[in-house]
Amino acid sequence: MTLRTFTTAGLLTALAAFALPLHAEGDSAAGKGKTAMCAGCHGIPGFRTAYPETYHVPKLGGQNAGYIVSALKAYKSGDRAHPTMKAIAASLSDQDMADLAAYYATTGK
Amino acid sequence: MNKLLIVMLAGASLGLAGNAMAADAAAGKEKAAICTACHGEGGNKPLAPDYPKLAGQPADYLVKALKDYKSGKRKNPLMAPQAQNLSKKDMQDLAAYFAGQPGDLVVKY
Repeated sequence: MTLRTFTTAGLLTALAAFALPLHAEGDSAAGKGKTAMCAGCHGIPGFRTAYPETYHVPKLGGQNAGYIVSALKAYKSGDRAHPTMKAIAASLSDQDMADLAAYYATTGK
Repeated sequence: MNKLLIVMLAGASLGLAGNAMAADAAAGKEKAAICTACHGEGGNKPLAPDYPKLAGQPADYLVKALKDYKSGKRKNPLMAPQAQNLSKKDMQDLAAYFAGQPGDLVVKY
């Protein structure tokens, strides 16, 4: 490996690391301000989805942040199929997901 | 005619018995050992941050999740093989058990 290719590779790695953080850091306070779309269903005790199947929506307060992020990503990608959640998750950035997850994770019993 | 009536009644009572086959939390506890290996004691202490807490989650939501893992509607390489082995009754029993466990989860606005 020449010095030039070594330097180029190093620069590219540094750039990639800068441009593509693997995990967005969640900001709980920012997440609290982003719950408007969640609260209409998840904020109501005993609330049930009406479509396409009827069941109680899951509790989010106190849930693991990493799980909330993975659930939202799965809805966005289609690995989890739910029309309402797919539409909502599609509107969220990675930062939004991390912020919401950080907020809910800290609001358990 | 009487025989036909008896057969019909027997069939009807079997159907009723099938419907009345209630979820059994105690039986669910017996079946939950493999679940708690990852989701933690009572489903409230997951071993990894991206595993969900189950304790206190609505039973019908947990059944829905297991059904979707089994059918492939919800794609997850860890849960798909676990759900394959579960009957509908197993899912109902497990869900009843975890829904009744104390834990961190709350409905949060």
